[in-house]
Amino acid sequence: MTQLSAVPTREPATPGSTREHLSSPVTSAVLTIQSRMLAATRSFLSQHGFTEVLLPILGPVTDPGARGAKQVDIDYYGHRYKLMTSAILYKQASLTMFDKIYCIAPNVRLEPLDTTVTSRHLAEFHQIDVEMAGASRDQVMRLVEDLVGYVTTKVLADVAEEFERLGRDIQTLAQLSAGPFGRRTHTDAVATLRELGHPQNPDGEIDWAGEAMLSRLESRPFFVTDYPKGSRGFYDRENPQRPGFLRNFDLIAAEGYGELCSGSEREHDYAAIIARMRETGENPAKYAWYLEMVREGIPASAGFGIGVERLTRYIAGLDAVWQACAYPKIPGVVAP
Amino acid sequence: MSHLRASTFPEAAVRARARTGAPAAFADSEEYGRALFGQTPADNGRLTDWLEDLRLVPPVFVPHRLDKLIELGREPTFRDVDLSTTIGGFRSALPLYLSAFGSTKVASVDLGLAASRQAGWLGIPMVVGENVLRVNGFGRDEEDAEGSMLARIRAYADGALDGYGGVVVQQSTEDADAEVWNLVYSDPNAHHLLETGRLAFELKVGQGAKPGLGGMTLLDPVSAARLADSYTMVPVGAASAVDGAAGYELLDDGGGSAADGVGGQRAAQPDRTVLRCCSPGTFTEEILRQQVRLMRNNFPRARIWVKLPPSRDVRAAAVVAWQAGADAVTVDGAEGGTGWAPTAFLEHVGLPLGECLRRIGAPEGCLLVSGRMWEGSRVTKSLALGASAAGLGRAALIAVDADPMCGLVNLVECLALELRMLFSALGKYCVAALSGEDVWSPDGGFEPR
Repeated sequence: MTQLSAVPTREPATPGSTREHLSSPVTSAVLTIQSRMLAATRSFLSQHGFTEVLLPILGPVTDPGARGAKQVDIDYYGHRYKLMTSAILYKQASLTMFDKIYCIAPNVRLEPLDTTVTSRHLAEFHQIDVEMAGASRDQVMRLVEDLVGYVTTKVLADVAEEFERLGRDIQTLAQLSAGPFGRRTHTDAVATLRELGHPQNPDGEIDWAGEAMLSRLESRPFFVTDYPKGSRGFYDRENPQRPGFLRNFDLIAAEGYGELCSGSEREHDYAAIIARMRETGENPAKYAWYLEMVREGIPASAGFGIGVERLTRYIAGLDAVWQACAYPKIPGVVAP
Repeated sequence: MSHLRASTFPEAAVRARARTGAPAAFADSEEYGRALFGQTPADNGRLTDWLEDLRLVPPVFVPHRLDKLIELGREPTFRDVDLSTTIGGFRSALPLYLSAFGSTKVASVDLGLAASRQAGWLGIPMVVGENVLRVNGFGRDEEDAEGSMLARIRAYADGALDGYGGVVVQQSTEDADAEVWNLVYSDPNAHHLLETGRLAFELKVGQGAKPGLGGMTLLDPVSAARLADSYTMVPVGAASAVDGAAGYELLDDGGGSAADGVGGQRAAQPDRTVLRCCSPGTFTEEILRQQVRLMRNNFPRARIWVKLPPSRDVRAAAVVAWQAGADAVTVDGAEGGTGWAPTAFLEHVGLPLGECLRRIGAPEGCLLVSGRMWEGSRVTKSLALGASAAGLGRAALIAVDADPMCGLVNLVECLALELRMLFSALGKYCVAALSGEDVWSPDGGFEPR
C-alpha cells in the first residue's frame, strides 16, 4: 500500500483548489475514517439510550461562550437571527422531551484572525453534542472516555488500511480504549505551565499555546477540570462548594493536538442563570425564549461537545484540522 | 397667561414644564444637535467641584529639578518637561486622550471624524462611544460607511503618530447584542491595531452626565422604528389637545401602565421625536469582576478598560476592576458628558470629579479621569491626585467645531504648553513625578500622599 503524506510540511499548509482538495487521496482517506467515526458514534450513543435530535441551525440567540469569535447574523423575515455557534441552549431545552439526547450539529463561529495559524480552528465545523438529564460531571466524563475509546477501536478495526495509507502510528491510538484518561484541575495545569515559563492567565481559559504545551507532555488524552468562572459561558455550572470555579472539563488530546471536547454540569436555576448572564456581559432580554423555558423548569443535566473535525484530525494524525473537512473554512480565508 | 407671579420660586421652569410636559426634563430639544450639554457652573461662576478649589503649590526646594539639571548639564526649563506617558497599556505622547462622544447628533460624522483624525496625529488614545455601531453602523458596507465606527477608526489610524496612541472601543449592556467587541476583534480592518498592540475594549459601566442611567439620544421616528427591538423608546412630544385627555407621559415608566398607551399613540405620529434609552446594566462586585475577567479571556490581545460613573462607591468599583485585571479605569466626573441627559441629572446627580479622586485615594492601577477638562491646571491637579491622564470630551468637539482642520491640535498644543509650565513650576519633569504634595486644599480636605 502506498503511504500518503498527510503532513507535507511543518508550517500549516492551506488547502489548494476545491477540486484538488476533494480529489486528494489524503482527503479521501481522512473522510472515510470520519464517516466511520460518525457511524460508530451514532451506534454507541444509540446503544446507550440516547435519542438523536435534529437541532436548529438558526435562532434568535446562540451560545455566547466562544472566545472572541463573532456570531453570524442573518435576516429572518426582518428579525436578526443567529447561526448556531453551538446547540447548548437547545440541548438543555430538549431535555424536557428526552432524558438523553445527542446531535451531530453544524456550528459557525467567525473566529479572530489570529486563529488562522493555530492549525485547529475552522469558522464552520461540527460537534458531537450530547446532553444527559440528571447526570453528574463524572458520569459524562466517563461517557466521553467510553465514546472516544469505542469510536477509535471501531475505526481501527473497520478501516485499518486508511490509517496505513496516512502513515498514522496506530499503537498510540490503540491505547485510547485502555482505561480512564488522566485528570488534572485548571489550577494544576496553570501551575505546570508557569513552571515551564509560560505566562498563563490563572483567571482565564488555557490559551492555545499553553494547551499545545500541555498536550505535548502527554501520550494519552487527559481531562482538565474546574475552569474559573470568567473563562466560560453562563451555562457551565458554578461549583457551590468552590465558588468562582465551574463543574466543567475539557478533554485535551495528546501529542500536541490540543482540545477535543468541552463539557460541564449545567446551570438550570433561573436566578443563577440570570446572574451568570450578567457576569458574562450578556443582556438577558435577548434570551427570552430560553429564560421562559428555564423559569418554568428544565432538568439538571450535564453534557459535552466533541469537535468532529478535531477528533478526526487527532485520530488520523493530521497536521491541520482543515484536512478533516471537505469544504474547509479557515478563519479569514474566503472559500466555497 | 394669568397674572400669578412667584418671584421666589423657579417660576419660569415650572411654567416651561406646564407648557411642554416631559420634554422640559431636558434642555430645549431645538438645541439638540447644536449644543453641548453638561452641568452649569454655580452662579458665582465657580464650580462646586472641590477640584476647582484646590491650588497647585510650587515649592522652593526642587530635588527633581536637580536630577534634571544633572542629566542635562544646564538649568532645566519648562520645555524639558516630558509629557509622554502610558495610558491603559498604550504609549501616549501626552497625558490626554479623546473621550467617547457617543452617537449623539452633535458628534456625528464631520466633528467625530475631525476629532479622530487629529487625535491620531497627536499620538493620544481615542475612545469610540458605546453605541456608534448600533446607531451609525460599523462601516464595512458602503451604505453605512460615513460616520461609522470603522470610518472613525480609519480617520484615526491613517495619520497616527507611529508607535503612539490606540483605539478604545466601548460597549455597554445593550451593545452586547451587537457584539461590538467581537466584530472589531475579528475584523481585518482593525487587525493592524491588534497587531501593534493598539486596540482596547472599554466596558461602560456608567457615565458622568447621568450616573444610574444608560445612554440617551433623540431620534427621528424612522430611526427609532429601526432600533425599537434593541432599546427602550420613549416618545417625548408635549401633551396637547391633539393627544387627548390622557396627556401625561412618565419618562421613567417602564411597567406597562397607561403611559405606554400614550406613548404608543405618540409613536404612531410621524413627526414625534423619540428618546432612545439604554439600560445602565445591572452590576454587583461579582458581575463586574467576572465581566472584566471574561473580556481578558475572550480578547487576550486587546487592552481592557472600564468606565465608571461618579458613583458613591467609585473606589470599591475601581478596585474590583483593577484586581480583575483591567488595564485602566476611567472615572467620568459629574461635570462630564457631551450628550443628552435630564437636567435633574446634570445639576444634581453624581459626585464631582474631585470627590471621586478623594474617595479613590492612591489608585491601585491606571486611573483616567474626564469631566470639564480643557486647560492645564485641572489636568495637572488630577494627575497630582493620582490620575494617569485626562480625557477631552466637550473641549475636543468645540475645538474641531471652531477649526475642523486643526482645532483639536491647536487646543492640545496650548494645553500641553500649560502642562509643561505647571509641571516645571512644581519642580517636576514627568507625569509620574506629580503627587499629592503638589496641591493644597483650603478646607484641609485632602491629605497629601
